Amino acid sequence: MSRIALALTINGQRHDVLTEAHRTLLDVLRADLGLTGTKENCLEGECGVCTVLLDGMAVDSCLLLAAQCQGREIVTIEGVSSRGGDDVLARAFIDCGAVQCGYCIPGMIISATAFLDEHPSPSEAEVREALAGNLCRCTGYQKIVDAVLAAGRTSGTETRGDAR
Amino acid sequence: MSFDFHEPASIAEAVALAARFGTEARFLAGGTDLLVQIRRKRVAPRHVVSLHRVPGLDTIDANGEIRLGALVTHRALERAPAFQGALRALVEGARVVGGHQIRNVGTVGGNIVNASPAADVVPVLLVLDAAVTCVGPNGAREMKLDEFLLGPGETALRPDELLTSIRFPAPALRSATGFLKAGRRRAMEISVVCVAVWLSLDGDDRCAGVRISLGAVGPRALRSCDRPVESSPRTVSRSRTSAHRQPTGGFSWKHSFRARSGQR
Amino acid sequence: MKTRVLGKSLPRFDAPGKVTGTLVYAADFSLPGMLVGKVFRSTEAHARLAHLDTTRANGLPGVRGIITAADVPDVRYGGAVKDETVLARDRVRYVGQPIAAVAATTLEAAEAALAAIVATYEPLTPVFDVETATAPDAPLLHPDWRTYTAMPILHREGNVCNRARIVAGDVERGFAEADRIFEHRFRTAMVHQGYTEPRAAVAQWDSAGTVTVWSNTQLPFEIQNTLAEILAIAPSKIRVVVPGIGGGFGGKLRVGVEHVAALLAKRAGRPVKVLTTAEEELTAAYPRQATIVELKTGVTRDGRITAKHGRIWFDTGAFAGSGPGVASVATLVLAGPYRIPNLDLEGHAVYTNKTNCGSFRAPSGPQSNFAVESQMDIIADALGLDPLDFRLKNIVREGDEGPTGQVLNAVGLEECLVKAADAIGWNDRRPGRWRGKGLACGRWTTTGGSSGVYVKINTDGTIALNTGAAEIGTAALTGAAQVLAEELSVDLEDINVVSADTFSTPFDFGAQGSRTAFAVGNACRAAAVDLTRQLYALAAPHLGVEPEACALRDKHVVADGKSLSLAELARLSQATGGGLIAHGTFIAPPTPYDTKRVESHAYPAFHSPSFHAHAAEVSVDPETGEITVENYVVAQDVGFAMNPTYIEGQIEGGVAQGLGQALSEEIVYDGGRVRNPNLTDYKMPTTLDVPRVQTILVQHPSLVGPYGAKGVGEPPNIEPPATVANAIAAATGVRITSLPITAEKVALALRDVTARSAES
Repeated sequence: MSRIALALTINGQRHDVLTEAHRTLLDVLRADLGLTGTKENCLEGECGVCTVLLDGMAVDSCLLLAAQCQGREIVTIEGVSSRGGDDVLARAFIDCGAVQCGYCIPGMIISATAFLDEHPSPSEAEVREALAGNLCRCTGYQKIVDAVLAAGRTSGTETRGDAR
Repeated sequence: MSFDFHEPASIAEAVALAARFGTEARFLAGGTDLLVQIRRKRVAPRHVVSLHRVPGLDTIDANGEIRLGALVTHRALERAPAFQGALRALVEGARVVGGHQIRNVGTVGGNIVNASPAADVVPVLLVLDAAVTCVGPNGAREMKLDEFLLGPGETALRPDELLTSIRFPAPALRSATGFLKAGRRRAMEISVVCVAVWLSLDGDDRCAGVRISLGAVGPRALRSCDRPVESSPRTVSRSRTSAHRQPTGGFSWKHSFRARSGQR
Repeated sequence: MKTRVLGKSLPRFDAPGKVTGTLVYAADFSLPGMLVGKVFRSTEAHARLAHLDTTRANGLPGVRGIITAADVPDVRYGGAVKDETVLARDRVRYVGQPIAAVAATTLEAAEAALAAIVATYEPLTPVFDVETATAPDAPLLHPDWRTYTAMPILHREGNVCNRARIVAGDVERGFAEADRIFEHRFRTAMVHQGYTEPRAAVAQWDSAGTVTVWSNTQLPFEIQNTLAEILAIAPSKIRVVVPGIGGGFGGKLRVGVEHVAALLAKRAGRPVKVLTTAEEELTAAYPRQATIVELKTGVTRDGRITAKHGRIWFDTGAFAGSGPGVASVATLVLAGPYRIPNLDLEGHAVYTNKTNCGSFRAPSGPQSNFAVESQMDIIADALGLDPLDFRLKNIVREGDEGPTGQVLNAVGLEECLVKAADAIGWNDRRPGRWRGKGLACGRWTTTGGSSGVYVKINTDGTIALNTGAAEIGTAALTGAAQVLAEELSVDLEDINVVSADTFSTPFDFGAQGSRTAFAVGNACRAAAVDLTRQLYALAAPHLGVEPEACALRDKHVVADGKSLSLAELARLSQATGGGLIAHGTFIAPPTPYDTKRVESHAYPAFHSPSFHAHAAEVSVDPETGEITVENYVVAQDVGFAMNPTYIEGQIEGGVAQGLGQALSEEIVYDGGRVRNPNLTDYKMPTTLDVPRVQTILVQHPSLVGPYGAKGVGEPPNIEPPATVANAIAAATGVRITSLPITAEKVALALRDVTARSAES
C-alpha cells in the first residue's frame, strides 16, 4: 500500500498531504489537517454532517476519496466565513434559534450555502428539499428552515444579489 | 480497506488497467456507492481506477439522438435543459436519488453498473429504450439496457469493460414521460417501488404506444408493459396530465399504484 | 414580571462555536500519539464462549494492545441490577456484545486485528421476545440471576429483572361499577435515539495512575463512579471531562465506550480513542425498548373511567440496563393523566437475546402513552363521545391525586387540551374524505437529584458559572445562566460557563430527565443569594450604609444615590479577601406519595409534573396507506418559559423524533440479528417528513422550579405516536395498534375492511 502525494486546495489555501489512496476527504480534513468543523457520523452519505463544498457543490466528504479532489476547490465550515460576508447564514442560524446540539449545523450551513448561491430567495419547500440530505435530530428542522429563509432574504437583498 | 489508486487519462488506458488487474480492480465514477460497498466489506478491490481524468465522459449530447456520458451526474440530469419537457422523467428519477450531496457526485453510469433493483433512473432509461456502450480491450460493443441488466448487482459488463455511454432516441413529437416513487420517507429513500412511463400519441390524440417499467419489485428493474394500446382520446388526455404531474416532495404512492394497475 | 434577561429568547452562549465549527466535540477530540480502539463483538445471539484466540491479532503490525475478559477486573456492574461485564467472559447474550478490544495505530490496523481474532461458540437456545422469555421453562439468559447484586426493592424472577406495580382502590369493584369494559393490546418497536454524534471517548493515564476520559456522556459523575467500579480504582483517580456533545436523548447516560478506552489506554500505555460506527450504534447501543401493552379499562355509560388494569412488558435485551426503572415509570404513565379510583398497573422488564436497551427521552412515555391514548379514542368512539369531551370529563385537575397518591398542583392540563384542540380546529374533526384529526395528552416528571454550582465574579464584572452539568444541546445551561444573570442584574453575555469536569466542577446529577435547567437554575438562584449578601456586605461600608440598604441594579450595588460596580467590588474583594465566590446547591424536595400503593417501584411519583396535549391533522391515501401529517399543534404547560425560543426548539424537535417513532423508525431484529444496521434502512425523518409545529406555551408555575419552571425536554417526545394514530383512525376508520404505523399497515387494514364489507 503506497502513499500518494496530494495537493489540495482547501478554503483557498494549498495543503500538501501524503496519504494512502483509500483515505477519504473527511479523513484528511479531520485527522491530518485538524479541520474538525466538518463532522463524522454515518460514513455512508445518509446523514450529511460531513458536507463540504467541492467546486461550489455540496458533497459528502465521507464518500469522496481525497485523491479525487486534487485540482478542485474545497470549502469547509472553517472557510465559509472567509468567503466574504457569508456569516449571514451563521448569524441567521443563531438569531432564529436553529442551533441545539450543533453537530449537524456545519453540514447544514454548507448545504444552505451552496443552495442559496443558486436560489437567492427561495421558498420554504425549496429550502426543505435542499436540506433533505442533512439529518438533524434536535430541532425538527423548523428553525433551521427559518434561518435559511431569513438568510436568503437578507443576503438576497443586500450582498448576495450582486456578489454572485 | 486499502488499495492502489489509478487515474487513467483515456478510455483506452482505463480499459487496459482493468484488463491488467481483472477482478481485483474497480472503476470509480462518483464513488458514492463504491465507497459504501467497500466500507461494508462487500467488495475489497486492490486497485481502484478513477475515471475523473478521462475526458468526455461527463457530457450530455442532446442534438438529435440523446447520448449521456457514463459520468453524467444526477445533478446534471436534473438541470439539463433538454430534459425539462418530454424527457422529464429523467429529472424526476434523478432528483429523488439520495440528498443533493449524493446527486452532485453520483453518476448515471455508476448507477447502472451498480445494478441495484431499486435504482431510480434505470426504469426511466428502460422506457426510453436506452442502449449502453461498453468498451473493452477489443473495442466497443453496444447492447440494450434491458439486456445489460441481469439481476441484483449483476450486469453483462465484463471485468475488463467500461460502460462509457448511454443513448436513446430523441423524444417523438407527441410523447411524454413520467416517474414516481414510493418509500417510507419522502427523501433519502431507497424505493419500495418506483415506476417510469413513456407514452406517445398519434395525430388523433390516440395513444400510439406506451412503455412502463417498475423498479424495486424484482431482481432488476422490469419492463412490465411494452406495446401499442388502443384508447380513446379522452383517456389519453388524462394520461398526459398524469405524466406531466410534478410530484411534490419527490413522489406519491397513489400515482405510482394507479400507473401500475392502469387505473384512471 | 419585569425581567432583564429571563423569559427572553436570547441566543445561547455556545451558538457561535457551533455555527463556525470551532466547538470541539468528543468525536473531534484528539491527543498526540493517540491510538484507535475497536471492539470485537459476538456474532452469536446466545452461546457459550468456548474459546477465544487473539494470538495472531496480537502479532499484526500497528497493534499496540488487546484486552479480553481475562485482562480486566472481574467485576459485574450495572444500574439497578449488576449483571453486566465489560467483556463477555464465558457466555455471550446478544449479537454485538463486546468480547475483546484492540488498540492500534490506525483504524485499518485495528480492523485487521479484529478480523484476526477467533472466537469459538457453543450455541445455547436463544430467546428473542418477551412472550417466549416469560413462558414457563424458558431458557434463562442469566442462570445466576439470584446471585447478582441488585436494588433490594426489585421483584426479579428468572428472565424478569423487575416487575413494578401500582395498586390503588379495588379494580374488581371498579370493573363491577363499569357499564362497559374495553380490552386492547398494543405493540411498539425498538427505536434508537439517533443522536448525530456517535458515542466517543478518549482516555489517557498519567504517571500518578490517574485516568482522564474526554467523553460525550450526559452524566460525567455517573461515568466517574462506574469507571471506578470497572477499573477497581478510587473515583478520585478518574477525571471525566465532557467537551461538546452532539445530542444524547438518554442514549449517552451509561458507560458505553469510556471503559473500553480507559482499559485499552492502560494496556497500551498511550491515549486511546473509541468512536462508534452507525452499525455499532444500531446493534450494540442503548435504544428504546420494544413493548407489548395490555389495557383493560372500565367506563360508565356517560364516560367516567372506573377502573384500569394495565400491563406493559419491556424487551430490555441481554442486560437489565434501565429496564427495571423504566418499567416502574411506565406504570405512572399507564394511569394516564386521569382520575381513576381503581388501578392495577404492572411494568415488567424482561431479558431477551438482543442489545441492552436503555433510556430514550421520556423512557416508557411514548410506548405507554400510545396505548393509553389510543384506547381513550377507541372508548370515546364506542360510547359515542367526542374524544376531547371524554378526556375533559376524566382529566386530573388542581389538587387531585396522582396514581400513587401524590397531590397534584399547577395542573395546566385542561388549558393545554382546549388550546391544542382549538388550534387544530377540533370542531371539524373530519374535514374531508381521508382526512382526520386526533389528539392525545399526558403528564411527565421533572427528575430530581442534586445540582451544585460555583459562581465567581471576575474583576471585569463578568461572572463565571461553574457547573457539573453537561450542555447536551437543549440550551438548559443557557436557561440556567439566564437565571443567574437575572439574579445578579447582569447580561447573558456576562456569564461564562465552565461545565462538566469531575475534577473541578461541583456535583450534578446530570443532563437527564428534563431536570437540567430546572435544577441548575435553582442552584444558580441559591448562589446568587449568597453572592448578593457578600456584595452588600462588601459595598456597604464604602457606600456608607448598612448592607440591608443596598440593592443590585444594572451591574452595580446601589444605595443612597451612590453605587459601586460589580467589577470594582470584585477587585476590592481580592484586596481584602479571597474574591467573590459562592457555592449554590439545589435538590428537589421529595414528592410525598402513598407507599402502600406501590410494589417493587423505582420511581413512585412524578416531581413537579408537566402537562401537555398534542393535536394533529393527517391525510391518508386510501389506496396506498400513505400518511401525511398536515398540521401539528403542541400545547405544553412549561410552568415558566425561561427562554421561549429554545423551549419551542425542544418541542419541535421532540415532535419530529416522536413522529419518527410513530411512522418510520424501527430496529428490525430477525433471528437475533439486526436487519437494518445503517442509516439507509433505519429511517429517521428528513426535512420533507416533518411538518411545521405550532407551539402554545401554557404557564402554570410549579412550586419548586426556578420562577415556576417545569421540566421541558422529554415531554414533546411522548404524545406524537398516539396523536397520529388517533388522527389516522379519524381519517380512515381503521385503528393501527402497533408502532411504527407504516403505509403498509394502513393499506392492509383498509383492505381488510373492504374485504369484510364485501363479505357481509
